Amino acid sequence: MNQILHKSTVQRGLSAHAALGLLAGALVYLVCLTGTLSVFYEEWQRLEQPVAPEMAHISPAAVQAGVEAVLASEKGKTPTTHLYVHMPADAVPRTTITTDHGAVHVDARGAVVGPEQIGWSDFLVQLHYTLNLPSLVGISIVGVLGVMMLALSVTGVIAHPRIFRDAFRLRSRDKGGVGLADWHNRLGVWTLPFAIAIALTGAMIGLATLNAYGMAAGFYKGDIEAVYAPIFGGEAKPDPAPGKVPNVAAALSDIATRFPHVRPTYVVLHDPGTKGQHVQIIAEHDRRLIYGDNYNYDADGRYHGHAGLSDGHVGQQMAASTYNLHFGNFGGLPVKIAWFVFGLAVTVVSGTGVSIWLGKRERRGYDHPRLSALWAGVVWGFPLALTATFLARLVIGNGAPLVAIFWGLSATIVLLALVMARRALVGAWLRPALGGGILATIAAAALHL
Amino acid sequence: MTGNALILTAAAAAAASVGLLRYAWSLARRSMALNALGWGLLLLALVLGAMSDGAWGMAVVSAVATAVAMAVLTHAAITAPPARVAASNRRANMLPEGKEPKRIGERFLTFLIAVPLAFIVSVLIGMASRIAAAGAGLHEADSNALMLLIVPLVWTLLATVLLVWPARRMQFAVLLLPGLACAGLLAVSIVR
Repeated sequence: MNQILHKSTVQRGLSAHAALGLLAGALVYLVCLTGTLSVFYEEWQRLEQPVAPEMAHISPAAVQAGVEAVLASEKGKTPTTHLYVHMPADAVPRTTITTDHGAVHVDARGAVVGPEQIGWSDFLVQLHYTLNLPSLVGISIVGVLGVMMLALSVTGVIAHPRIFRDAFRLRSRDKGGVGLADWHNRLGVWTLPFAIAIALTGAMIGLATLNAYGMAAGFYKGDIEAVYAPIFGGEAKPDPAPGKVPNVAAALSDIATRFPHVRPTYVVLHDPGTKGQHVQIIAEHDRRLIYGDNYNYDADGRYHGHAGLSDGHVGQQMAASTYNLHFGNFGGLPVKIAWFVFGLAVTVVSGTGVSIWLGKRERRGYDHPRLSALWAGVVWGFPLALTATFLARLVIGNGAPLVAIFWGLSATIVLLALVMARRALVGAWLRPALGGGILATIAAAALHL
Repeated sequence: MTGNALILTAAAAAAASVGLLRYAWSLARRSMALNALGWGLLLLALVLGAMSDGAWGMAVVSAVATAVAMAVLTHAAITAPPARVAASNRRANMLPEGKEPKRIGERFLTFLIAVPLAFIVSVLIGMASRIAAAGAGLHEADSNALMLLIVPLVWTLLATVLLVWPARRMQFAVLLLPGLACAGLLAVSIVR
């Protein structure tokens, strides 16, 4: 590598790497941390609400009964625009029906059992997706962070000519910055394919809305749906005139016989109870990266073709593959565990980068006590605030103000760190607090189960 | 070879390739042959994974290789004896040292060039790519998906180039030439 790149290029690569790290370090770290935890989104849901009815399968008739019961319970309210039935899956063997007004669990006979209560799991995923900001702003910022992660990966390789030669050297116990740099560089190089995959898919997902606005303005007269329709399939023309409850059971029976190799994960009712309604079944395919394909049915359960995410154009298959590749949902629990471990490694890489830069400056005689303390507050404070939100969820209940708790506590910790202005002191307080928080979380979760 | 046998062979080859690279890089003198064999085996594993299960197979093979590397690294972390090597003090030139000027205006301009301006040019390149793809006969789904893929990739490339080669003239050339060309193509396409 050092023969390929000139010394000055390597130096400028390091400057670029440091600039990107300082610019986006704290938010990249938060997105990596929450993304790592979000790998177990389904498992968190089961932990949060352990008493919901579980089943390996549910009959089409029971789904129909559940849909009818939910729609009947919402009479008098503004009609829901969509109704989603989450079908039992290995990770979450539960049937849950979600409308614009809320979500309820149903049992294996289709009877409504009670409300879904997964406030913390949803908070965690929203924090990862949008940083709890308004949807378009938040997801676009996270998309930008994906690009920053990609650029950090590229500039990291440029800045470290020996990174591949030293790929197996990890002097974990060395002091004075050697150990920290080794952790950063070794984990960085071995998670490079993973980091590029999750950063690119994250950037694609995050920037998709902005890109779609661009395409809509340039090619579709401002119609956003028209951008996505060739890829994921379009929605039928709405007709608000009243209609009967759609025959979901017929659609589910049909897909079981027509495509016995696929497994329905969601049933989506578009504009249910209107004449324009139609039914979409999202079904996953074994040993594929795609999240599934969209199978379309009319209100009577008659098949009208599928979107082609499994066997259509390359662009369709690629777009449908970004989600599972990003979240590690394509190979059951082993892949989830791998994604969690790799995600932790990328989190460590993002958390140690700024510390390495601060350490180098300190060794050259330029100490930044406030900046160092602030960074320690970020590194230890974000996970501590997350454990506090989890405990609050278990103690206060599903309605706990998790967004306020997380951001309020994070801001308090960072401000206190700034006031303390001593990294060692901040770490000395926050590390045991985080350890205690994790132990308390495990204990509370065990009691909750 | 059945699907399972092929993917298992691919996974085994991926694991072996990491082990081989570990051995090759531990030698006192670098062995080009062993290095090539290690990388070649990893490439073969990816090809076998793709032959077995397409993109899913490649993702599984990559995960296996990364997991094995993590295990080897964990071993290194546990067994590496403490050394007395001085840590790197390589300067990143991010903040001024001594009496160096702060150059805040320049730094802010670099940010504007590498982040918002580079994004706008990336979107223009993405839209031009979409026009070119549609003109070449690609299906609408492929053209639209291409833009979703190409914008983050081009932005990454531009941000890297702009930050690594910080001469202002070079930066503006890198942004303006493709930006104006793509904007022109877009304008012609819309007028038509």
